[in-house]
Amino acid sequence: MTSRSISIGSGSAYSTDRLDWAQELADSGLVDYMGFDCLAERTMALAQVRRLDDETAGHDQRIPELMRRFTGFLRRGGKMVGNFGAANPAAAADDVLRGLKLNSVTGVRVGVIHGDDVLDHVLDQDLELPEMGVTAQAIAAKVVSANAYIGADPIVELLDEGAQFILGGRIADPSLYVGPIAYEMGWALDDWDKMGTATLVAHLLECGTHATGGNYVDPPYRVLDNIVHLGFPLAHVSEDELIITKLEGTGGAVDIGTMKTQLAYEIHDPAAYLTPDSTADFSHVWVEEVGPNRVRVGGASGRPRPDSLKVLVGVDQGWKVVTEISYGGAGCVERAQLAAEVVAKRLEPYQPGIDEIRYDLHGVSALFEGQLPGGDPAEVRLRIAARCDDRETADAVAFEGQFLWMGPAGGGGVTTQMAPAIGVTPALLPREDVKLITEVIEA
Amino acid sequence: MKLREFAYSRSGDKGDIVNLCVFVYDDDNWEVLRRELTVEKVRDKFGTLVKGEITRYELPGTKGLNFVMTEALGGGVSMSLRTDPHGKSYQSLILEIDIDAGEEIKPRLG
Repeated sequence: MTSRSISIGSGSAYSTDRLDWAQELADSGLVDYMGFDCLAERTMALAQVRRLDDETAGHDQRIPELMRRFTGFLRRGGKMVGNFGAANPAAAADDVLRGLKLNSVTGVRVGVIHGDDVLDHVLDQDLELPEMGVTAQAIAAKVVSANAYIGADPIVELLDEGAQFILGGRIADPSLYVGPIAYEMGWALDDWDKMGTATLVAHLLECGTHATGGNYVDPPYRVLDNIVHLGFPLAHVSEDELIITKLEGTGGAVDIGTMKTQLAYEIHDPAAYLTPDSTADFSHVWVEEVGPNRVRVGGASGRPRPDSLKVLVGVDQGWKVVTEISYGGAGCVERAQLAAEVVAKRLEPYQPGIDEIRYDLHGVSALFEGQLPGGDPAEVRLRIAARCDDRETADAVAFEGQFLWMGPAGGGGVTTQMAPAIGVTPALLPREDVKLITEVIEA
Repeated sequence: MKLREFAYSRSGDKGDIVNLCVFVYDDDNWEVLRRELTVEKVRDKFGTLVKGEITRYELPGTKGLNFVMTEALGGGVSMSLRTDPHGKSYQSLILEIDIDAGEEIKPRLG
């Protein structure tokens, strides 16, 4: 009997990630599986809003392109797992089936996971929303969505039923990889050290090119080759070792530096990284370079998974408006500050409808609120950002931003952005309350 | 010496919480980092940006520190009105912290 192994690649890290480089990896023949994370915290709530407007919308909008690009991979028997469903897994499945047909791919079993939408539970159980300091019922009229982060279990179940393309809604980012790894390696979902190990590999893959030199280069200290064309990362997992690498010929790097920054990316206590699949311990993880763009990792362990699932609740926050204008030359900072004072005064009648407003100076204090003092800039850009209860108030903020054409002197390049503001806030729901349903569709 | 001379970092967000990891280029600088990069120094550098708690964790396996800051993004990516609601740029601010350990530190660039 040959020992078990799996080669799995990263295909996407967010809802509009580029698919061309992911296709390169899929077509390389190096991987049997590709994982696709398509959701950020805010993406999910925005998708829910799209679905409220149109019941056939609210899923990943890249599916037609995806199906075109990954036809070859699927024909060779490659398997794909992604949270393409976002707010509407059924509509995503329809798009996938359409794509398979359009590209003349037959014999693919599509697995669909339903049930991460827990809006009714959140309201019925009046869950606490600790970051907002209220319970769900207290703001019920404003709660637009609630999705539970779901784990690897239904993915393993669908792979066992022969699914080749698996999609769902808010599947947790690492679970997209933990599922295939557990299935192929024969690791039990309650073998916590194995789940911690699978979660380590998943965590290093789930952010795509973040692990291969994206968000990393900082000359002259951190310099990498060819960041114009980064490679997506892939992992070779066996009982003996965990290898992370990338496609030969692509830019960036898989080395100790890129791996360490990805290891600790968006984790809190490294000894207790909470996911739906385990409480993973990364504190003793080690990273070793074993070749060019090739690292060996290990040292992860795990403890039982949390009893509750994290839920992200989408909350209607009215309207968000941002308006900007630039000033240059001597005295530009003073003129920008004067402009901010003038706008604040002119907006006084609208104050009751303004939930929050802030005035920042790009080039001076926009990123760090003046924590990092610099010298006099040659130019500065005033940024006025507000969250308003209604569109009328947001329009007033935009109007006053634009009216800065009329002074102080020399203001130019006004831009304004306006959009509905959907906030997301976390809650916890007992695991047993989330009833997942899986279906397999023969294409 | 600026932290940037011998260490690197990355910041990430979850809700209104930011984490900032810091690793040394040269393992020989790990004990200095551990000793010198205190919560107090980080709090002082971030000032008004962070309204909540700052907790420091260690990653002994990879010789790194992880700072977790609550109420650090003006309400989190979806609510915040800040220019950088994710706090992606925080990784550059932490590297501005001054570390005074003289000859003990081996800088990245000789």
